[in-house]
Amino acid sequence: MTTLRNERALLWLLLLPVVGFLAVFFLVPLSQVLYFSVMDPGFTLKHYTAFITDGFYWKVLFGTFQTAAFVTVLALLMAYPLAYMVVRLGGAFATTILLIVTMSFWTSFLVRTFAWMVILGNNGPLRAAMEMLGIVPAPQLLFTRFSSTLAMVHLLIPFMVLALYSVMKKIDPNLTRAARSLGASPFDAFRRIFLPLSAPGIVNGCTLVFIMCLGFYVTPVLLGSPREQMIAGLIGQQIEEFLEFGEASATSVILLAVTLTVFALYNRFVGLDKLWG
Amino acid sequence: MTDEKTNMGSKLVVNRRKALTLAGATAALSFPGPFISRAHARDVLYVNTWGGPWEESAKVNLFEPFMRENNVEIKTVSPVSFAKLAAQVKTGVYEFDVTTLGDADIVRANEAGLLEDVSKAPLDKSALWDGAIFQNGVASHAFATLISYRKDKFPNGGPKTWADFFDPIKFPGSRCLQRHAGRVLAIALLADGVDPDKLFPLDLDRAFAKLDKIKPHIRVWWTQGPQSGQLLRDGEVDMIGIWQTYPVRLIREGQPIEMIWDKALLDRAYWVVAKGSPRAALAWKFVQTAVRGDNVSKFSLANVYGPLNPKAFDFVPAEDAKLMPTSPENIKKVVLQDTTKASDQLAEASKQFDRWIAR
Amino acid sequence: MRITLALALLVALFVLGPLLVVVPMSFSTANSFEFPPPGYWLGYYRSFFGDERWLTPVFNSIGIGLATMLLTMLLVIPASFAMVRQRFMGRSAINLLLMMPMIVPNIVMALGYYTYFSQLKIIHSPLGVVLAHTCLSVPVCYLIIAASLKGFDRNLERAAMNLGASPLRTFWEVTFPVLRPGFLVGGLFAFIHSFDEAVVAIFISGQAASTLPRKMFDSIRIEADPIISVVSTLLFAVVLLAVLSPLAWRAIVKARSQFRAA
Repeated sequence: MTTLRNERALLWLLLLPVVGFLAVFFLVPLSQVLYFSVMDPGFTLKHYTAFITDGFYWKVLFGTFQTAAFVTVLALLMAYPLAYMVVRLGGAFATTILLIVTMSFWTSFLVRTFAWMVILGNNGPLRAAMEMLGIVPAPQLLFTRFSSTLAMVHLLIPFMVLALYSVMKKIDPNLTRAARSLGASPFDAFRRIFLPLSAPGIVNGCTLVFIMCLGFYVTPVLLGSPREQMIAGLIGQQIEEFLEFGEASATSVILLAVTLTVFALYNRFVGLDKLWG
Repeated sequence: MTDEKTNMGSKLVVNRRKALTLAGATAALSFPGPFISRAHARDVLYVNTWGGPWEESAKVNLFEPFMRENNVEIKTVSPVSFAKLAAQVKTGVYEFDVTTLGDADIVRANEAGLLEDVSKAPLDKSALWDGAIFQNGVASHAFATLISYRKDKFPNGGPKTWADFFDPIKFPGSRCLQRHAGRVLAIALLADGVDPDKLFPLDLDRAFAKLDKIKPHIRVWWTQGPQSGQLLRDGEVDMIGIWQTYPVRLIREGQPIEMIWDKALLDRAYWVVAKGSPRAALAWKFVQTAVRGDNVSKFSLANVYGPLNPKAFDFVPAEDAKLMPTSPENIKKVVLQDTTKASDQLAEASKQFDRWIAR
Repeated sequence: MRITLALALLVALFVLGPLLVVVPMSFSTANSFEFPPPGYWLGYYRSFFGDERWLTPVFNSIGIGLATMLLTMLLVIPASFAMVRQRFMGRSAINLLLMMPMIVPNIVMALGYYTYFSQLKIIHSPLGVVLAHTCLSVPVCYLIIAASLKGFDRNLERAAMNLGASPLRTFWEVTFPVLRPGFLVGGLFAFIHSFDEAVVAIFISGQAASTLPRKMFDSIRIEADPIISVVSTLLFAVVLLAVLSPLAWRAIVKARSQFRAA
């Protein structure tokens, strides 16, 4: 009995530091955001009603969804063949590709965002190439939705590749081989065997990329168009420029709700534990 | 150009070791700074700066003399933002003590109670001149927001007036303006034909209606001086409303840039002290030094500003004075802003402007 | 197949190319973003190593990262033992709490910290950034340490106890040495997480505790200082070294074993 009680005590002793710390330095500031969204200065729902009734906020929210979905699809379409070839070919090819992907993965978002600024800039290589190909004058690329979308795809592809790869490498190659020997065409074998087996990787990668995109701040702010803000950029502006903390809080709560919904859906159908495998 | 760089390079080599030790020491001290209270050998004053050439010139001509004379340290804080000034007073956490504000911002800041009271300031007013003090600020220098464009984009001549700047059919191309309600609204009204003497109070509906017409053509709004220079230099934008410092520099560099003085919007910059700053006394002392004729003239020369202290002209060569916005020739062309007439509308106008941009 | 391979190679190029762009830029003589550069020199490297405005954020980031790493490990390691080895009421709630900082978008936390730390008067201080970064690093550190703990064979501990070792001695002489690599990796991830974190740092680090990502963000936004390409190249070089060194190490070990075999 005493050992059991001692064990209980030890258990909570082990957990107390992190629980206490997160309560004070994570839950309190997070609750403050919820609190300020309805209390600026007295109790009010005006920040939410403003959000709901003003088409502008819907436009930002919808634009954010659109961009996130677009980036996710693009990243999947690009990452899938890459991960597939890594698993299929293996050897030095796989090592090299995985090395490149890991390198990109670990390189700071700001470094990569800056790189895209150089590439897409007025004196950058992409416009020079376009002009060489006879597109004169080449369109200005920086500060458009195109530039921030492209950069976000680049920033998030490594997450997608790694999510796909970790599932694909566990698929037994004999299964596809067996299908082939039973007379399936290569494409059929892929479509009916490999693709369904890799589906968990697709779901994981897409969820991760989509969620990261929803709350993306740095890249859209630096590369994007001022007319097509994403929701995180809007929150930043409400904090830094308008000093409207109530409004910023309400927008934050909406972003949080959207993000949690995506997580909840994932949890419902897949199970949250599997996301970070 | 190359010589300048090698020169700069060799200077930097000499300084490098010193700087490294310095940086190492700073790091050792500043971390874990807040855990152990740090003993300061000298008082520190935090000055908000515009970065780039502004800061380079201020460092040599304003900060260093003050640091030498008073044995204090000046640390610079950038970027400049009106919101930050307001946030400081709201949160009580001060990142900077002193900043400079233009004609519209000082009126707006004073209206919002963000500035230390100049009448209670320990200033030696006998060393100042008539009209030096305005709205709790001390006048420093004048600068102009003017049209500048890339000649390679407009080989047959570009926009000559603000009306041209707002005419995307006559002058197609990407545009850029400062993200600054006071200046941009005034410029929109000038473009719409409002008499320069009747700009203020601002006719907001008219200004926004005019702005709507070029909104799709504004690729980016600049917020920081050096950024505006960079955008023009790199050709990211074809025409821009910009402070004269940058086109003058770019033209000297040999860039194909044109600048238009006609109807340029003149601003006077004032030194102000953030309300409630714990270092207000030191801050005023700095302001006194910064507006002294010898200092402000040297500071202004590098940026082609017009010093507002009349004594400054004792130190300015005549040919340099010609380029300044306050030169007899330019002052006839520029538009002066009587922003006090708009004191009750600037805060709301800024809010409306920020929202208008975001949509 | 061939088309897929070609596609894969194109994507690989898309992933790699932009990383390489910053390298020549850092040696450029241009004071703006011209690519390819008009000429090459080392001037911006000299400027970087002589500029307190860049070096201070570097040291701030390292210091904040190290403090975050230590604090995170102190909090997470004990908790991981409890979470992995015990079944108890409220376990899944605590599991959710530990993962929460990874789920909540950083911009939301940036706002929370901005107001909260202003009230506590620790905004714009390294302490504030360390506290915030520690919260954000808990999930990643926990995932890694818990995983290494799950893989630990408890029979080792039982054997030690059977041989008469006290629980504490067992921990120090058996459990800890075996798990140390996992702890170190968890700590390393916490460090990197803090070192790379930009959004919260942009809003709360201020000038006094400015981290490197914040300085880079400001620099791109304010004037696109060419020194940024130097910083980018150096950061990229660190990653390159870190990623390549295990590979090189393996090659050396392999060569050595072959040498011995011969």
